[in-house]
Amino acid sequence: MSTIAPQFRLSRFIASLFDLIFWVLLIFSLVGLPIVFIILFYIKLPIINGQLMTPYLSMTWMADPSRTLPIVKTFIHTTIFRVMVFPGFGFAALLAAATIFVERKFLAKIQLRVGPLYCGKIEGILQLMGDGFKLMSKEIIIPAKADKPIFWMGPLLFVGAAGAFVSLIPVAPGWVVANPNVGLLAVFAIIGFFPIIAVLTAWAANSKWTFIGGLRALHQMVAFEIPLILSLLGVVILSGSLNLSHIVESQQHFWWIVFVPIGAIVFFITIFAELERIPFDLPEAESEIVAGWLTEFSGMMYGLIQLGTYLKLYAFAGLFVVLFLGGWNGPMVWPPFPQDIITHGITIGPVTAKFPGLPLFDQEMLNGTLWFVIKTVGVILLILLPRGVFPRVRMDIALHTGWYKLIGLAFINIFIALGLLYAGVLGPGGLLQ
Amino acid sequence: MTTQLPPGMHIETVDDKIMTLNVGPQHPGSGHMRLIIKVDGDYIVSCDPDPGYVHRGEEKMAEYRNYIQNIPHLERPVIHDSSNILYPYCLGVEELLGIEVPERAKYIRVIAAELNRCIYILYWLAIYGIFLGHSTMFMWPAGDRELFIDLLEAMSGARVTHAYLVPGGVRNDLPSNFEERCLRQVEYFEKRLKEYEAIFYQNPLLKARTEGSGILSRTDAIRLGTTGSVLRASGVDFDVRKKEPYDVYENLDFQTIVMKEGDSYARSRIPYLEMFESCRIIKDALKKMPKSGSVRTKLKPNPKGGNDEVYRRVESGRGALGYYIVSNNRPEPYRVKISVGSFRNLICMPYLLKGEKLGNMPAVYWGLNYWPVEADR
Amino acid sequence: MSNVVGIIRALNSGVKHLAVKRFTLRYPEQKLKFVGDGFQFNPETGVGIAGLRGRHILFHEHCTGCQLCSVACEGIAEAISMVKVAETWKHNKKAIMPQIDYGKCVFCGLCVDACPFYALYMTNDYELSSFTKSALIYTPAQLAIKPKISQDVEIKIDGRGASHG
Repeated sequence: MSTIAPQFRLSRFIASLFDLIFWVLLIFSLVGLPIVFIILFYIKLPIINGQLMTPYLSMTWMADPSRTLPIVKTFIHTTIFRVMVFPGFGFAALLAAATIFVERKFLAKIQLRVGPLYCGKIEGILQLMGDGFKLMSKEIIIPAKADKPIFWMGPLLFVGAAGAFVSLIPVAPGWVVANPNVGLLAVFAIIGFFPIIAVLTAWAANSKWTFIGGLRALHQMVAFEIPLILSLLGVVILSGSLNLSHIVESQQHFWWIVFVPIGAIVFFITIFAELERIPFDLPEAESEIVAGWLTEFSGMMYGLIQLGTYLKLYAFAGLFVVLFLGGWNGPMVWPPFPQDIITHGITIGPVTAKFPGLPLFDQEMLNGTLWFVIKTVGVILLILLPRGVFPRVRMDIALHTGWYKLIGLAFINIFIALGLLYAGVLGPGGLLQ
Repeated sequence: MTTQLPPGMHIETVDDKIMTLNVGPQHPGSGHMRLIIKVDGDYIVSCDPDPGYVHRGEEKMAEYRNYIQNIPHLERPVIHDSSNILYPYCLGVEELLGIEVPERAKYIRVIAAELNRCIYILYWLAIYGIFLGHSTMFMWPAGDRELFIDLLEAMSGARVTHAYLVPGGVRNDLPSNFEERCLRQVEYFEKRLKEYEAIFYQNPLLKARTEGSGILSRTDAIRLGTTGSVLRASGVDFDVRKKEPYDVYENLDFQTIVMKEGDSYARSRIPYLEMFESCRIIKDALKKMPKSGSVRTKLKPNPKGGNDEVYRRVESGRGALGYYIVSNNRPEPYRVKISVGSFRNLICMPYLLKGEKLGNMPAVYWGLNYWPVEADR
Repeated sequence: MSNVVGIIRALNSGVKHLAVKRFTLRYPEQKLKFVGDGFQFNPETGVGIAGLRGRHILFHEHCTGCQLCSVACEGIAEAISMVKVAETWKHNKKAIMPQIDYGKCVFCGLCVDACPFYALYMTNDYELSSFTKSALIYTPAQLAIKPKISQDVEIKIDGRGASHG
């Protein structure tokens, strides 16, 4: 029983409420409003129904409902929506959170037990929320001799790089946060950033266990980067472009995994090494080096690292789907939007309600998203399975695999791709165009 | 100016390349003991085990309790293998006090000891899985262990600290439907054990990690004085249950498992195969047990031993476990010395870990079947 | 090549276990069943009767205050001490009965073995946690209460595996 909490006094409570209201009003009016105006100065305001939507006018959607849906639709097509909600951070974070929960339940079923059960009425579905609250409420302990600026920046850099990786994955035709023409090269550059973050934070924490963990992370991730790049070159050779959206469009009739399966397998194995998942979770090996380079993180810093790791998981699975499994291509199973709702509106009795501005998303985009999500979930389940089946490998086995076996297999894959191209089977001017 | 160091201290030169790691008591990979490991890159240069973290003075405290009060006390070094650690004590005290044990009690004791051996080996296997990073290999043995703990709880009344064997027999008779329940669960367990093959013992990743590492040759095993499954993994056929049979082990039909390689893989596989033999022993003992009879010889009040000493030993899950009891006409023993298998095998640790990679340390360390609490007593 | 076969077999074994029943029981909604009524001892034959060693139960109509349970426990855990009770019994002239401190008791049951008057048994009650250490000391009056225990599940083995049902 808590005997440290002070007694409750109503006068003190009301005084604290007034205090809070005072500070909220002060900060809102002196700081918040100017910031909002400065931001709105830079956002391009849309033109709907022949009128420029200033911020005040767009707030009148409550009075004139015919402006509601066009405003929402314009907002959906802005860049900031793409970055924050779909297909950027919101979508990825939702999938990442669902992945954490599904992973725990899936592993528990293999191990003949239940997994999270008590948080939330149905089979523990609110467990992640509970974990999030717990991590936010814990004290962040920094070792005394650690290099503080770099140590604080570590998780932020990690989540930032993971977010940058997520932003390159196309989810539906036209729906991608960043679509550079050398998209795949950008992916390689971002992947190459992760070992640097690991070593920086490991060194900054100034502890023996993190030192060993950081070195192991560096060795492992660098060893598996070369097979990763080489295995994807087969797809680049066959599709003729580095742009991820173009690669997906080139898979409209057949998936690349049919022609370069060895590349797909090599890429799949390197996914485990880059994500530090079992069987390659040496940098985090609990029984040998406490927690590797994550040892000194506590509280929300650890929460950020977990978020970054699962964002990376989604991004790698998305990359696998985009490159080998056809991205968003699939038969059209989404029903088209009923045409008469657009022209006539919905009639209930004597009242006819019109909704100008429908449909919000078009059928093609929804169908593409559905297929992408199905395929990504399948790949994520396949990535989760070895955690329940394999032990951890030793460092020399991991390096041996990365430097010898996988590079050999990746080269064989490149030769197969080149052979298919020059035999005239695929590529421009080939049999299956 | 001559600097003479006091005896026991030495000057250590600090080498820049060699890092000293404390795989200490608060470490997910060490149990409750401390290993001072010096690494050069990834290779272990020297390993210095530092036992004694859990030393509680069991042997000294045993001198202040009489022969029956010692039962809950002396089972504490290994609480989940309690029948095997009480067994030589009971045999020794029975010899000192001159007590005869009824036949049914002997069979029940053998069944309890074998059930306890399976419980300990499953626990050991679970921790072995964790040390290698295989979480499923932690959950499956821990779950299957429930089958045996359930049986022992029906027999003795407690899940871990059974306190079931006493000098003179066992404390209570078996409950009513015990035989058929035991047979059913043991047969189901034998089917479950075969599942461990595909996911653990034939897993290429496990074999790549443990085969060929930490090799202990036959001559070295005998020279260092090892015991238990470590000895049998190096090709020496020695099992106390066969060489110096006690109670009714000579009537029961089982065999000793011996492997020749002496590496970590053999040491991890022998306890697993021994569990099959334990199940055979249990089924055999249930068949051969007399259906009725007393299970405990009544002792005189306040039993005292004469001026006598006795040494008995037993094969526990970790090796030969022996008790040396000295009595001198008092209700309490004069001296109880416990000789445990874990402490005998501790000598292998600095010997085997020198020159090994750091990644092999958990496999070698736990493969030596070392239980820190028992070694510290 | 045998490596690849081994890996595929391991994955196959993992996937097969998705169809095996879960083994765990959902405590506290389901609780384990016990055979019998708790550990008891028959001083005539000198042999106990199998049962779970849980909380003790003291039969006031048999306890004579002979202190043998306290003497037995002195060498083990020193959890039993004799206290004066307000009841008057013919067989308990000194009016003392044992009080058990569950903060110290190791549930070995040797006090039950020591009692010659069929007065001290153990029951199936194992949920003895409390918020303060002083609440763990059970007076003779508290020890006389027969506990109400719910028992729901036990280990069942069928074609799809073992489970608690």
